[in-house]
Amino acid sequence: MSGVLLFFVGVITLAGIYAILAMILNLEAGWAGMWDLGLAGLVAVGGYVFIITTQQTHEDVILTPHWPMWAGILAGSVAGGLAALIIGVPSLRVRGEYFLITTLAFAEVIRQLSINLGSVTRGTVGFNQFSRPFESWATGAGYRWLLLALVWLVVVVVYLLMRRLGYSPYGRLLRGFRDNDPVARSLGKHTNRHRIQTFVLAGLLYGAVAPLYVWFIRTVTPSLFTSEVTFVTWTALVIGGIASLRGPVIGALILLLVTEAASLVQGSGEMAVVLASVRFIVLGIVLILVMRFRPEGLTNERDAFAGASGKG
Amino acid sequence: MIDDMQNIIFGLVTGSILAIASVGLSMIRQTEGFINIAHGQLLTLGAFLGYTFVSALDMNIFLAGLLSMLLVGIVGVVLAVIVFRPVARSGPLAQLFTSIGLAYLLFGVMRVIFGANVTFFPTSFGTRLDLGPVNVTVGEILIVVTAAAVVAALALFLSQTRLGTWIRATASNPELARLRGIPVNRVSHAVWFVASALAGLAGVMVGLIGNVHSELGWTQTLIILAAAVLGGLGSIYGVLASGLLLGLAMDLSALVIPTSYRTVVAFGVLILGLLLRPQGLFVSAGRREA
Repeated sequence: MSGVLLFFVGVITLAGIYAILAMILNLEAGWAGMWDLGLAGLVAVGGYVFIITTQQTHEDVILTPHWPMWAGILAGSVAGGLAALIIGVPSLRVRGEYFLITTLAFAEVIRQLSINLGSVTRGTVGFNQFSRPFESWATGAGYRWLLLALVWLVVVVVYLLMRRLGYSPYGRLLRGFRDNDPVARSLGKHTNRHRIQTFVLAGLLYGAVAPLYVWFIRTVTPSLFTSEVTFVTWTALVIGGIASLRGPVIGALILLLVTEAASLVQGSGEMAVVLASVRFIVLGIVLILVMRFRPEGLTNERDAFAGASGKG
Repeated sequence: MIDDMQNIIFGLVTGSILAIASVGLSMIRQTEGFINIAHGQLLTLGAFLGYTFVSALDMNIFLAGLLSMLLVGIVGVVLAVIVFRPVARSGPLAQLFTSIGLAYLLFGVMRVIFGANVTFFPTSFGTRLDLGPVNVTVGEILIVVTAAAVVAALALFLSQTRLGTWIRATASNPELARLRGIPVNRVSHAVWFVASALAGLAGVMVGLIGNVHSELGWTQTLIILAAAVLGGLGSIYGVLASGLLLGLAMDLSALVIPTSYRTVVAFGVLILGLLLRPQGLFVSAGRREA
């Protein structure tokens, strides 16, 4: 019984992590209209910079600064923002689906670099022994609850931040130039500069929250940052409702509960492959059905911002 | 110097396969209006079908390739009708994410049916022929020749037949084509069939020169997307040329940097291309935005 309970603690923790990613994605894609398919790359940069700057146990890499954890998180965040700047400047020369593919390409380049730059990243082996925050407070099963609380605390903080941003003039400006760029420009708004700013802000946030993902998974390898992270985040966002406020959180919870439920069934050998594949099939079917019957998602932008321009 | 020539041969083979895989993606983009992320999974399906025909049914490789091509083409049309037609009016975001959903669905189903192991085509094209500075296998020559023949056939089909003319008309202006009474459903079916069949053929070829495994679709999709975008999506010949270019770039880069950087090189070329010519390497007009 407690095994099943702990399993769900894990699923809800992961759902919280994806809720955070989906909220950040909502900022850049939902409101600013930049369809970013490269967020896994920014999370990877944050995660790797965090682990490289803070880890104490793997001494076989050329860079081991042994920074304290808070400095590592800060470094990961700055690196995520910097990566977003490097990716954003060329990618934002193109729009729509071209932007989408360019960001996807950049994420893959980052992943390939993490495989190939073995002297810094330990290649495909990666990092698997590192301390996590507050480990002295709880161990084993207790720590899972602690991580759950930590992740959902961040969910609340990011939610409040996004709410604030969404209702602010800045949020209105983003949605404005998403819908009509020439009008925003004719009103004297530097829309391209705001796009880059927003993309860099998203990069800073992805980098900052990447350690949560690392603490949950407990290893850092290139296979953690495939485009699957990107697509699961996107699916959560479109299920919940793109450009809404609560949508990303609702979508992440529903999606993760549905896809991870398949892992509850135990199997061995041949069955294990089948069960692992069922996750992908479920993910695919959910996405296809939502796009067909609820393309606007479960919640929508109009309700989220009803009265936003008036009373607030 | 000998290595240079050898890598040009490899690059030609990779590029030919890439070209026929990318041209299908760009045809669907032009007539249906979205980028089909599931294109790479159709390629994997072709590889698995070809492998099954050859290894389990002991079929001749040419027959197996042809049959895989036809079957994948039919699967493409069926998927278009069942999965994509209902969301045709929901906009490019819905279509794009439907194709991502389909990619995961196909990926999962293929892993259930064919397993997650890496397999190799039992077909052997004999030893490497020594041609002075380089050596090639008969298989590699056949792949390049087949790809060239397919491209020539495609060009003839698009320029000489009525259906081909309709496809080009729909690609350049879908609304006008509809107004002029072009049967859009037939055009759509034809495009899905041709594009998917080409993906299937490319899959068999990828399997022949390398191996067959379930992750094939994801790795190939990225490079196919790179080739298609680099070529500007709109122009079929542009996409063909950039497919070849990317193939050559990836294999020639092996001379200066480790081969594990092949995909990095492909995307590096793409990013460079977008920086220098955002409208596509071989396109004179501006890009059509989604």
